[in-house]
Formats: sequence, structure tokens, C-alpha cells
Amino acid sequence: MDNNNLFIHKSVVYGLSGILFMPILATFIYSFSSSWGATILPDGFTIKWYTQLLTDPRFLEAFMRSLFICISSLLLAMILVLPMIFVIFYYYPTLDKVMNILILLPFAVPPVVSSVGLLELYADSSVQLIGTPWILIGTYFTIALPFMYRAISNSFSTINIRDLVDAAHLLGASTTKAYLLIILPNLKKGLLASTFLSFSFLLGEFVFANILVGTRYETLQIYLYNMRQTSGHFTSALVMTYFVFIFVCTWLATHFSKGNK
Amino acid sequence: MSYVKVSQLCKRFGDTTVFENIDFSIEKGEFITLLGPSGCGKSTLLRSLAGLNKVDAGEIWVDQENITDIGPQLREIGMVFQSYALFPNMTVIDNVAFGLKMKGINKTEARAEAKRMIDLVELDGKELFYPRALSGGQRQRVALARALVVKPRILLLDEPLSALDAKIRKSLRQQILNIQRELNLTTVFVTHDQEEAMLLSDRIFLMNEGAIVQQGKPEEIYTKPANEFVASFMGHYNLIGAITASKWFNFNSQQKVAIRPESIYIREEGRHYGEHISVAKPGIVESHQLLGNVIRYSIKVEQQLLTVDLLNRSSERLMAKGTPLELMFNLNEIQPVRA
Repeated sequence: MDNNNLFIHKSVVYGLSGILFMPILATFIYSFSSSWGATILPDGFTIKWYTQLLTDPRFLEAFMRSLFICISSLLLAMILVLPMIFVIFYYYPTLDKVMNILILLPFAVPPVVSSVGLLELYADSSVQLIGTPWILIGTYFTIALPFMYRAISNSFSTINIRDLVDAAHLLGASTTKAYLLIILPNLKKGLLASTFLSFSFLLGEFVFANILVGTRYETLQIYLYNMRQTSGHFTSALVMTYFVFIFVCTWLATHFSKGNK
Repeated sequence: MSYVKVSQLCKRFGDTTVFENIDFSIEKGEFITLLGPSGCGKSTLLRSLAGLNKVDAGEIWVDQENITDIGPQLREIGMVFQSYALFPNMTVIDNVAFGLKMKGINKTEARAEAKRMIDLVELDGKELFYPRALSGGQRQRVALARALVVKPRILLLDEPLSALDAKIRKSLRQQILNIQRELNLTTVFVTHDQEEAMLLSDRIFLMNEGAIVQQGKPEEIYTKPANEFVASFMGHYNLIGAITASKWFNFNSQQKVAIRPESIYIREEGRHYGEHISVAKPGIVESHQLLGNVIRYSIKVEQQLLTVDLLNRSSERLMAKGTPLELMFNLNEIQPVRA
């Protein structure tokens, strides 16, 4: 009976993973095929799509731009969110409820709607923001905020922050020292996990990038979009490269969160 | 002048007064317990001594120094929390050495000193463990070592035993007492457990609704409760109204009287009672509870139910419901109390 149950469980899990894995596998094979038209199997294998991609300066530039935007917005988020959560949890715990509503807003408004809203808002601004990476950094910050706030506030609720800070105070530490030496190290896990999660999410963001900035600052996703007319093998290679990168990031994230346990 | 002196201390949160007009003094090396029901303000009072709460009025003096407006960092007061409050990202030895590091003592010296404290609380061998790998009792001993290592002028203990199970609680409270005696530490202990308070303290400050209602040696508070609240909090005192008491015991009382359950005797054949200081009343057994070494009888005398504790000497002597008997009240043990 138990064995039978286990078999059903396993077949469901493996079946689902198989279905999910299929397109990735197909893309993978396609990116390595010289041509794959009317036949069941590809005609031959080649790495020319990868060499073509990785030697394309436009790709490398787009990749660097994406990295720049993602890392800057995550840095901005970290610098603002960490002290903010500390202040909320230590001094004004009741504000946590307000924050929980606030952080839902970026999800509640669809990206298409909010990007049009941002366009409207900043179109007449004296400082030219539309079409520059800066508006993207600002927007991505709001997207990363919910992930980071959730994860870090979860880490906060596992420690008794008030007693820890009080204990540190009585042992002679200032609030800043207590924050840096005791609170921050205990948030590392939540912080790293949420940072990598938001990172992979932001790297794949297309709607805001396309509407707010477009080709004037070509990010990875815009580049991918612009390349849609070229060979499918080439875009497959592009998708695979991007996928491997995300995969490594996710692996690092889980690795770090485990290492801190 | 006393080592610690607190005068006219007041604390309010918004409109609610947590405590008011608190006055007491503590001698060096004394073990004081702030005892009271939850919400009586004892923890807030302790936190005010530590400097973790600002007070609204009054003064705190320690060793001839007014520390009322000094931050917790400079008060040289150690504290142990109910939640242990160990730093989860640090090993036992780093936790204990933290206070020394904050004082700017170099690492080797700090570690050696921390090691000595860890040995004192009998945790040698656990130096490199993280707090999560320790049991509750061990964690609280780390917290104790961490508070002691900086040689505080006063040690504050905020219900340090409440999160522990009964057996560990007993051994740890003995350990706390031994260390306190050994180091001659001025200690303020907060608890809601009167047994713990009686066992540990040189003096007890009994608090209720933001005021100290009685302070004194444990036996004094136990045998001479100042008012009804103390009587009901310290034991299972029988409270008898003024009119009934005057009638029963043949004196004129304007106040209620309190009688401890263990000071009432049940008359046995062939025993002598000091008849000139005793009053006998007939009663009927209503029910009993077996507490282990003590049998707690509920006995009806006229319309009043009284609690009477008897040592559980032999199971044959257990009296069933409805057994008639005679109670002997020792007049010296009848304590008039204020409302």
C-alpha cells in the first residue's frame, strides 16, 4: 500500500518535472544543432551559435547593462531596506502591518499599467529620466522591495531583536554596534536568499525595460527581443546562456542559505 | 548610605501608570526579589534599573552615583533575560567575551577571562558551541556568564528560570545562589513564583499594581502579610471576615483576618494543645486534594470553607468527605490584614 502510494507520488513528481524540463532540453539541443528542420533529429551539432553569441559585442554590452541595472537596484534596496526594517522592528513594530500592505502594491498593479503611469509622470520632468537606466533602477528597486522585505522580516521574526539589542546595550555596545555585530549577521541568510531571488527575477524583466527605456539602453531582454528575427538557433543559444547564468545564481543562493544554517 | 537607593520612581506609558512612588534601598551583596503577579510592573521596574526604560520621575543611585539619566552602556549593570538573548551568530565563548570586547580589552585577555566565567557556570567544553546547540538550562548559564564577566555592580535577573523545566529550574536557581554568594553580588531577581522568591531572597519586595505593597525578609512576608493581596499571593491563606472572626475568636476585630492552612490543627485524641491560646471549632470535611507530601483539606466551619494542610503521614489517616472533626486555631497565628 505504502509502496504503491510512493510510486504514484514519484511518477507525478517525475512526470511533472519531465514536462517542465522538456522545453529547456529542446532549446538546449536546438542551440547546438547546425540545422533542425523537417527531420526528427537535428542534422548535425555545432557550437557556432555560441561562439557567434559570445563574440557579439552587442550581446556582451547588453549583458553588462543588465548586470549593472540589477546590481545597482539591489544595492539601493539593501542600503535602504536593512536599516528601515531595523527601525520598524526595533522602534515602531506596529508599522510592520503598514509595510505589509505597501509591499503588495508592486504586485497589485500590472507592470504594463504602472510603466505607462511612470511614463506619464516623468514625461514632463525637468530631469530627463525616461530612456535612461536610472528610471529602471528606481523601478526595479520597487520590484525587489517586496521580496527583500518579506525575507528579511522573516529573519527578524526568528530573533528576539529587542532583547538582543538590550543585552548588547548592557554589555556596552552602542545601537550601531549592536546592529552591525549582532543583528546584521543574523539576517545574512534571508538577505542572501532574497537578493539572489530578486536578482534572477530582475534579470528576466522585460515589460518595464521595454516601455520605459527600450532600445536606447539595450538590456539583455531587449536584446533578446530585438534578435527574434535572426536564426532560432542563435536565440536558443542566447536563452541557454542566460538560463545557465540564472541557474548558477540560484544554486549559489541555496548554497549560501544552507551554509548559514 | 545604602549601595542602591531608589526614590520616588515613576513610570508611565501614555496614560497608564506602570509604577509610581517606588522607594527602596539595597545593601551591597544583598539578594532582592521583586515578586508579583504578571502586569504588576516588576519587569518594567527592573528594566528601568538597567536603563533600558527611561523613568518619568524619581532617582536611582548606585554606589553614591546618580545613574538616573545614564545610558545602559555606562551603568555597569548586568542582566539576564527570560529569553536568554544570546547572540545566535556567536559561539559560547564569543557571547561571553562580547562585553569585554566592547570595553576594548584585547582578544586574548578577553577570551581567557570569558573562559574562566564559562568554567564558573560549569560549561567547560562548550566554548565553541553555538547557542542553538545548547539546552535551555545551558543557554541561561551562558547568559549568566556573559552578564557576570564584565563584573557588574548589580546583577538583574528577569525571570531567568521561567522558560525552563522544573528539574533544571531547581538546579540552576541553586547555582545562581551559590555564584551570588561567592561573588558577593548585589542581585535583583524578578519572578512571579513565590516559592522561588522565598528560597533565594534575603529580602522580598512584593509588588502589586505598580506599587511595592510589602518588603521584608521572606519569613516576615509569609507569616505577617500586610494586606489581603499579600496573604492571597504568598500562600493559601484563609481569609475570614471581621464579623465572623470577632465571633469565633472572641475578640473585637475591625479587619479581616488571615490564617495559614498549616497553622490550623485537627484535634486528635490524646494530644495536648495549648488550650489557653487556642480556640476550638467543630467542622465537617468537604473534600481533599493530595499534593504529595501534603493533604489539603477543605473543611466547612459554620458557613465558611477553610483550607487546612496536613502532612501526609499515612494513607490510613485520610479523612473522607462528611467526617466530623474539631479544628484548633492558634490565636498567635491569626493575622489581621488590611483590605
